[in-house]
Amino acid sequence: MSYQFKDFHWAKDIRINNYLMPRTLDEALGFLEEYQGKAQVVAGGTDVISQLRHRDLEVETLVDITRLPDMDGIRQDGDMVTLGACVTHAQTALSPLVREKAAILAKGAGSLGSPQIRNIATVAGNLVSGHPAADTSIPLLALNASVLIASKEGQRVVPLTEFFFDKGRTAIDCRKEILIQIKFPAMQSNQGCCHLRLSKRRSLTIAILVLAAVVKVDPQKKIIQEAAIALGPVAPTPFRAVETEALLAGAPVCRETIERASKCAYAEAKPIDSAVWGSAEYKGEMVKVFVKRGLENALIEAGAFID
Amino acid sequence: MNAPFDLILREHAMNEKSEKKKKVKTLTKERVDLQKLSRIMSGGLSLAGQSAVRTDARRKVTGTQLYGADYAPDGFLHGKILRSPHPHALIKSINSDKARALPGVVAVLTAKDIPGRNGFGAIIPDQPVICEDKVRFVGDGVALVAAETEKAAQEALSLIEVDYEPLPAVFDPREALKKDAPKIHEKGNLLSYNKLRKGDLDKGFVQAEVVLERTYQVPFLDHAYLEPDICMAVPQQDGVMLVEGPMQAPFTVRRNINAVLGVPINRVRVRQIPMGGGFGGKEDSPIDLGCRAAVLAYRTGRPVRMSLEREEVVLQTCKRHPMIMKVKIGAKKNGSLVAFHGVIYDEQGAYASLGPIIPPAGGSHIHSMIMMAGPYEIPNVHVDAYLVYTNHPYGGAMRGFGAPQVHIAHEQIIDELAVQLGMSPLDIRRKNGFRKGSATATGQVLDQSVGLLDSLEACAKRFDWDRKYKNRGYVDEQRTKRRGLGVGMGWYRTSIGTGGDACGANVHVHEDGSVLLFTGITEMGQGSYTVLPQICAEELGVCLEDVRYVTPDTDIVPEAGPTVGSRSTTLMGNAIILAARQVKKSILEAASEILAVPADRLEARDRNIFDREAPGRGITFKEAAAKCMATGKRLIGQGWWAPPTPSLDPETGQGNPYFVYTYATHMAEVIVDVETGEVAITDYAAAFDVGKAINPRALEGQIEGGVAMGMGYALMEKIVTEAGYIQNLSLRNYLIPTALDVPGIKSVIIEVENKYGPYGAKGIGEMPNIPATPAILNAISDACGGRIRTLPADSESVFRAIQEAGGPPDK
Amino acid sequence: MKKVGLSFNVNGKEVDLEIHPNTMLVDLLRDTLRLTGTKEGCREGECGACTVLLDGLAVNSCLIPALKAQGKSVVTIEGLAEADGQLDSLQQYFMTEGAVQCGFCTPGMILNAKSLLERIPDPDEQEIRHAISGVLCRCTGYQKIVDAIKAARNDKGQTPQG
Repeated sequence: MSYQFKDFHWAKDIRINNYLMPRTLDEALGFLEEYQGKAQVVAGGTDVISQLRHRDLEVETLVDITRLPDMDGIRQDGDMVTLGACVTHAQTALSPLVREKAAILAKGAGSLGSPQIRNIATVAGNLVSGHPAADTSIPLLALNASVLIASKEGQRVVPLTEFFFDKGRTAIDCRKEILIQIKFPAMQSNQGCCHLRLSKRRSLTIAILVLAAVVKVDPQKKIIQEAAIALGPVAPTPFRAVETEALLAGAPVCRETIERASKCAYAEAKPIDSAVWGSAEYKGEMVKVFVKRGLENALIEAGAFID
Repeated sequence: MNAPFDLILREHAMNEKSEKKKKVKTLTKERVDLQKLSRIMSGGLSLAGQSAVRTDARRKVTGTQLYGADYAPDGFLHGKILRSPHPHALIKSINSDKARALPGVVAVLTAKDIPGRNGFGAIIPDQPVICEDKVRFVGDGVALVAAETEKAAQEALSLIEVDYEPLPAVFDPREALKKDAPKIHEKGNLLSYNKLRKGDLDKGFVQAEVVLERTYQVPFLDHAYLEPDICMAVPQQDGVMLVEGPMQAPFTVRRNINAVLGVPINRVRVRQIPMGGGFGGKEDSPIDLGCRAAVLAYRTGRPVRMSLEREEVVLQTCKRHPMIMKVKIGAKKNGSLVAFHGVIYDEQGAYASLGPIIPPAGGSHIHSMIMMAGPYEIPNVHVDAYLVYTNHPYGGAMRGFGAPQVHIAHEQIIDELAVQLGMSPLDIRRKNGFRKGSATATGQVLDQSVGLLDSLEACAKRFDWDRKYKNRGYVDEQRTKRRGLGVGMGWYRTSIGTGGDACGANVHVHEDGSVLLFTGITEMGQGSYTVLPQICAEELGVCLEDVRYVTPDTDIVPEAGPTVGSRSTTLMGNAIILAARQVKKSILEAASEILAVPADRLEARDRNIFDREAPGRGITFKEAAAKCMATGKRLIGQGWWAPPTPSLDPETGQGNPYFVYTYATHMAEVIVDVETGEVAITDYAAAFDVGKAINPRALEGQIEGGVAMGMGYALMEKIVTEAGYIQNLSLRNYLIPTALDVPGIKSVIIEVENKYGPYGAKGIGEMPNIPATPAILNAISDACGGRIRTLPADSESVFRAIQEAGGPPDK
Repeated sequence: MKKVGLSFNVNGKEVDLEIHPNTMLVDLLRDTLRLTGTKEGCREGECGACTVLLDGLAVNSCLIPALKAQGKSVVTIEGLAEADGQLDSLQQYFMTEGAVQCGFCTPGMILNAKSLLERIPDPDEQEIRHAISGVLCRCTGYQKIVDAIKAARNDKGQTPQG
């Protein structure tokens, strides 16, 4: 491991020259263009400010988008739930709409950091961090969410399954683009979900393992029609266990299915060793336990009976 | 108000369903004096034993209490330290030209700029203020910078060019003891080897009918006090160097700075600022910062402020000593312990700090050796204890000072022994635990104030051990969670066992009845600023608000020793009582003259001096004080108190190292998720024999906080190093318990009077965290069958332990 | 670096300043406004000692650029007591319940509790612990802090004992 000056000496300050607070989306995009890659979007700032202080991020200007209009709404239109880019983790966790229609997101958002962090950190910011265990990325991935990204060129929709490239790297370039909306289908009555989180203490800590599972069952509640299983950190990015999901599609609701699924997820997931957070071997074992428990709970919530 | 009892049990119930207020219950074994204490009663206490509101509470809840960083930095230069990026390396050359040329930089200092001794340390000055020829751990100080702004200082650091030649490094004490290990200090890596020899060990093991051998390993821990270190050095116009900041030991800081500056002790003045937590860490971290700030101030002639970022605090300051402990224990089938052999590999790290011995029994290493066999009567005990340098951050004082580690060993092995013998973990402790008249492993006969077994019974009762014991096992239908119980028993000294463990207090009474109290005991949250004035006010016969505690300042207060070792209330309390009595003599004399009553019939209480035989007749304290002033009677009291002389034979480890001990028993109920290894603590009780609780509510606060700290040690705290580099320098990844992790704690206070303590008191500061860790570890083992011998018992460790045990128990 | 104007409300008073854009709220409060009741423990939002109320929400001021407070209101620990010195009931009970030891986490604890009681006037133990789960305390084990918040919850407008 190679160490640098900043690994032994710490500053108090952050090195930026400008902190801009645009009032419209056009103004915000205009600033980004003006600074030609030397400016970056910030919303809550809890990630960005810390990175700046540690000199892990260097940028001249921050463009704070929290004053843009229509960015803090949580709405349901038809079958879809939308979150504005400035919706905080606290708002998400407490929202009756989210708790009812996307319980795993409410739970995931409520498990990040601490109350103070949740009051200011945005769900969009959590996605953009690209951390493989980001607390809202995992449930949103399981909910088949997509994001709306705005730039000078226009707006584009990116499904989350195509959003995460590598640890810390996503489909969005925050020096040119702004994530303005998150959208996902509301959960239906033939669906159930479960969110599980393993961590070294009960607050203020990143997860050793997070699981978000969504299952859809047939009207007789005997067949799993569809399953989404998202996990992290078991890969460089938030992870969908697609092989396990394929195994579950059309499978009968029974213990054996759950056993097979947990073993399959164990094989698919590729966690790594961390000196501080735990070994790959342990995380792998916990994938088995979580997939088992996650499926059980999600199926029970969907109204199925597991014998 | 509370009357003095021979034995009092005081209980605090925390019930989340109902809103029961605190109750004071009395459970008596012997005769109890239930007289309601009225103001005019003789012989009783009016302040000592009261849960007085802290004298600094109002400042702290309004945000007006000033900590070190709250003083305006205007006019100060900012000091910073250039740190070694290598765990072990030679310094070939340093070039600071570019740094010096930076605008705003006032000084860049290297080793040659140290005016006096280039070395500091709480016991042995083996740590360079600025490293000259080599560095010994990552973070070692290689140059100092003072600049007009923090930013300039930081940039200057990055411009200093140092040419290092890395040396092979060693990170394990057993490796460091090998002949061909890299030499960290000139005299070799073995800083100290100490042994304890009691009885005949071989014979003991022959007599034993059951023998267990186990090895335990515990890591570096960080104090994680909320307030980062800071220090300010201000050269005075008469050439004296004033150094102030948060610190537990102003006199130790002073005697290091004067040597580093090359001036007599009386040319350095050190002043304490109340701390945002200390826990032993601020015993020596201010020596480090203080010497460095003083040198910068000396060379620049200007005030210098050095503050550490949180990561620097973790990088630079001392830690709890890691240990590898091998224990072999032998017992008879009936549970009597007959033999104990302990081997301790005590990792000192790069510098000596508070590890080595201060004869006869001071220093953390010898303390660990003395405590190793636990609070049990064992006729044959050997301990071999090695204190070893490595290229890691160094071990210093951390709450418990070497005792927590050894408790983790003896409390767990006693538990395993109990299982092997088919005895309950309480019964084996009842059989072997200290009682009055027991002899310790050093051969010390405990002739007074031994409430160990009382604490066991009180804890069992409060915890409802017998009933809970029947409810262990699986708690859910899916059989994933199991409940278990654990007990941890412990003892801890009052005093530090050095030859010079003494302290002084001065009391000044003024003609209006107001009082100044001068002691060098510092405030880090434990409540000394309240408890010590309580003792002073009690002895004088005034009210708490009449006593102002003067900020510890080495120019103003008498030698106090450090605020450590759970010694403050007891040793300083005694000194205060002696000082107060000197003044009280004058007060009573003056009152005697005014009232025409012999002085020995007079009583002072709550600002009144009255005739014991005619309580209605009296004058005010103020009147008596004014009379003293008018008649030239002495209104200044000076007290000096040293404990009974400690002793410890260097060859046999036999003697009386500490004059009294505090005892405690903790019990924990946990639920372990046997599939993930997660642990939840669902109930907790702790009973303490403290001699006398001067301020019961403050004492409970110490207990509750200590339990949380012991819980962190058990479940989540570990400084992770890789090749000498700390991987978790921040509070993000060095984890201490949050409010959602710590359970409700039921505490019980027992008072078995210490005849050498103020109103019978003995120490409490460090006892609380010590038995907590093994109580929780024992509960985990009881719950899931897995035994954790390498800490912490985080979920992965518990998971593996369950696997090694072949899976969770069946029932 | 060019200075920028900042106007916001601190403890009921309007404040107008010219500041460098890289100023963090915690430093503005402590160094410029000399409101040192807000503490700095880690500078990365992990300890909660720097908690202030921003438009009534508890936030870690060490992670908030000061300009984020533009046009908003900030309440620090100094803003809790009445102008005549009468303490907020939380402050009163923190004193009398023994919830204060070293005091470094105390402002953060009180402000998070204040925010809780304003949203949920009758919280249970779990909700109380949840509300303070973002402030680390190394001294108290949290027990008496929880007791003090409960006492303030139960107080319901009775006159504090001064």
